[in-house]
Amino acid sequence: MANRRMAHDVAIVAMGCTPFRDHWNSSADDLLVDAVQDCLGSLPAVSLDDIDAFWVGTQGSGMSGQTLARPLRLSGKPVTRVENYCATGSEAFRNAAFAVASGAYDMVMAAGVEKLKDSSQAGLSAVYPPADGTDVDWTAPAGFSLLVPAYQDAHGVDDRDMRSTLTKVAVKNHANGALNERAQFRKAVSAEAVETAPRVAGRLGVMDCSGVSDGAAVAVLVRAEDAYKYTEKPVFLRGMGFVAGSGAGLASDGYDFTTFPEVVTAAKQAYEQAGVTDPATEISLAEVHDCFTPTEVVLMEDLGFSPRGKAWRDILDGRYDLDGALPVNTDGGLKSFGHPIGATGLRMMFECFTQLRGEAGERQVPNARLAVAQNLGGQPGSCVAFVAVLGSEPGEGDR
Amino acid sequence: MPDQHGIDAYAAYLPAYALNSNSLEGAPPAHPGPVRSVAGFDEDAVTMAVEALRHIVGGTATGHQLLLATTSAPYEAKTAAGIVHEALGLDPGAAAVDLRGHRSGASALDLVTRTGACAAMADIRFTRPGAPDELAQGDAGAAFVGGRRAAVLLSRAGRTTELLERWRLPGEQHDRVWDERFTADILRTAAVRAARHALADAGLDTADHVVVSSSNARAAAAVRRALGGSGEDARIERATGFTGAAHPGLLLAAALDEAQPGQTVLLVSATEGADAFVFRVGDGVRSARGGPSVREQIQDRQVLAYGRYLRWRGLLDVQGPARPAAPAPAAPPMHRRAGWKFRLEGSRCGACGSITAPPGRVCASCGIAGHADARSKVSLRDKVARVVSVTQDHLTTMPEPEVAIVIADVDGGGRLSAYATDAPAEDVVVGMEMVPTFRRLWTTDAIHNYFWKLRPRKDCH
Repeated sequence: MANRRMAHDVAIVAMGCTPFRDHWNSSADDLLVDAVQDCLGSLPAVSLDDIDAFWVGTQGSGMSGQTLARPLRLSGKPVTRVENYCATGSEAFRNAAFAVASGAYDMVMAAGVEKLKDSSQAGLSAVYPPADGTDVDWTAPAGFSLLVPAYQDAHGVDDRDMRSTLTKVAVKNHANGALNERAQFRKAVSAEAVETAPRVAGRLGVMDCSGVSDGAAVAVLVRAEDAYKYTEKPVFLRGMGFVAGSGAGLASDGYDFTTFPEVVTAAKQAYEQAGVTDPATEISLAEVHDCFTPTEVVLMEDLGFSPRGKAWRDILDGRYDLDGALPVNTDGGLKSFGHPIGATGLRMMFECFTQLRGEAGERQVPNARLAVAQNLGGQPGSCVAFVAVLGSEPGEGDR
Repeated sequence: MPDQHGIDAYAAYLPAYALNSNSLEGAPPAHPGPVRSVAGFDEDAVTMAVEALRHIVGGTATGHQLLLATTSAPYEAKTAAGIVHEALGLDPGAAAVDLRGHRSGASALDLVTRTGACAAMADIRFTRPGAPDELAQGDAGAAFVGGRRAAVLLSRAGRTTELLERWRLPGEQHDRVWDERFTADILRTAAVRAARHALADAGLDTADHVVVSSSNARAAAAVRRALGGSGEDARIERATGFTGAAHPGLLLAAALDEAQPGQTVLLVSATEGADAFVFRVGDGVRSARGGPSVREQIQDRQVLAYGRYLRWRGLLDVQGPARPAAPAPAAPPMHRRAGWKFRLEGSRCGACGSITAPPGRVCASCGIAGHADARSKVSLRDKVARVVSVTQDHLTTMPEPEVAIVIADVDGGGRLSAYATDAPAEDVVVGMEMVPTFRRLWTTDAIHNYFWKLRPRKDCH
């Protein structure tokens, strides 16, 4: 199975991101325009006319490439709409990266957007094709809460320690988000507030869940060799992997709900391309898909940051805190930043981009050189997973 | 075919819940007081018919009929028996027939004994909250297959009496009832006359077991007295309530549970006239029963609080979560996937032997494409499944504050993601053994969505 570096290496030269929150007075169109303006503001010499092709990711806030072409009034440009559950923003980025890597285009844009707050529901909404009615009508927290009893059972973690670990993830990410002007929730939360929140599914309460918000994020990508033409501090795509799971975890026995096999495979591909052999020591920071607190626990193991069965201990010990050995979700994560589906994958890269350029202010991780952006959708047993390694310096092949 | 007259196999189905108080003020139940059998919020006449029949219907021969008798059919116009037929996997050549009305239970039993049909009687009984007979009505199912193993029909007699006794307009939920003192007298007369006629035809003065079912409790008591019944049937009824079209079947099943081979049973159903049957209990009666006895099922029930009952029945409009209704199923995928949806059939891989559920063209374990033929189908419906992981949904659209959802591995292969039922959500834990049960998941856009849930396995059976 091939897992090659691309024909041309790719760099991000500019990014933009709206604040993620209840944008009652903005449409998806408005959010896209805001994010694009934020992005192009750092490239004074570049206009939309200079961008050859566009990818826009949204799960349900628009159909077709016109989701982006119409609000921006793009003229004569190819725009592709992509959708891959909660990894939609990453998928827009991935396809845009392939487009410059192929040589077909010199400069492309990846955009992601979601407008969730125009419905009257607190959770996510999605429209599925007509079906036989035999699927469980899961809420997203119900699906991910399956990780908790399974993880405890597999690794002998008692109820108190498991609860403390989940709480620590929430408290940590909210503390990080409190330092981020773009985050949905800008207040640190106490352990007590997390643990006394109303239950939603299984052992998960409201404060174990990511925020539901509106937002958009965009990136401009060029071939790595051209990157310094546009900025002094490009960020290089060193490796990426993507897996759409077969769903076997829910359709046959064997899968035990203590891991996301799709993430493990995607990470392996990304690390190989990036030349990362020991992620636990080589990675400076990671943005991971903390849609629910147990997801982040399991991801620490799937990404090779903690040994199997040990992530809960490392989390409690502060290894993933902002001042820990491997800061995770420095921008607040989905937990406090919010999770507008189509935008989230690009929001993660926005934080990596900011950190690798040394522009993260109070959140800055010292000497950040390699960052992981990991994004997933679906549910344990049947998910889609994206992992990218981004670097402040070009890789071997980029020079 | 006179030598076929009788019952080959039988089963009763009582739901897992019982209501012993209907006091809105929280007054304690009367002791001893009437108890009503309560179907779960996910049960109806169709699901109870499936649960009653599934353990006694084997390969029903082409040409035979499946009858469903009820006063609470889930659809107008659409035949409910067809759904039961599909869930049981009967031969397409067997007809599926709905019988409606209070007398339909006795009519179904008549057809079973005379034609060799199989029949389910099943009913959900609605009353207005606080109605005088609220605890005297109940929900149940019963099922019979024609033949001779359980009992031979010695004689039958009937009386038809047009009578405005219990009635309900289409679209209405609750029966209306005429003054019971008037209707009891008419029904008693019809019932005693039919019973005496049947006993005479059988060459008997009386029977070892007298079983009386009536939509009018006053009439039932009078008929029992007139026929010298022991009152055992009345004791069952006080634990379940009158279960509508299912009631003669439920009481007959309870009698067969106890009767000795060679004894006689007189069954009288007094509603809109009367039907009387005299049976001689067969030598094979003990092996003819599917599932637990009526008494065992009565003892196994959980007591339900009145508020929860009202919510389940939609008699109390409670605020649910801010979440859209679960999607309605669509006709073509339901038809294409009938084996999975109605019979819980997965597919067994011809290459590696693993079971994929829901079934797929390509094996979920080894990835090899197989043939979608009958040989690859494997039924998971009567297997035990063990919980691998579990969650409690606190934002459920069902009329409950929380519902357990499990991933469970089936003994012999296969995995199910399913709603748990018949147990408090917090009682469902990793490692628990569960068994499939046919239920109504939800109703959206006037389409009832039937599928299988998992309920805790009871070791005593």
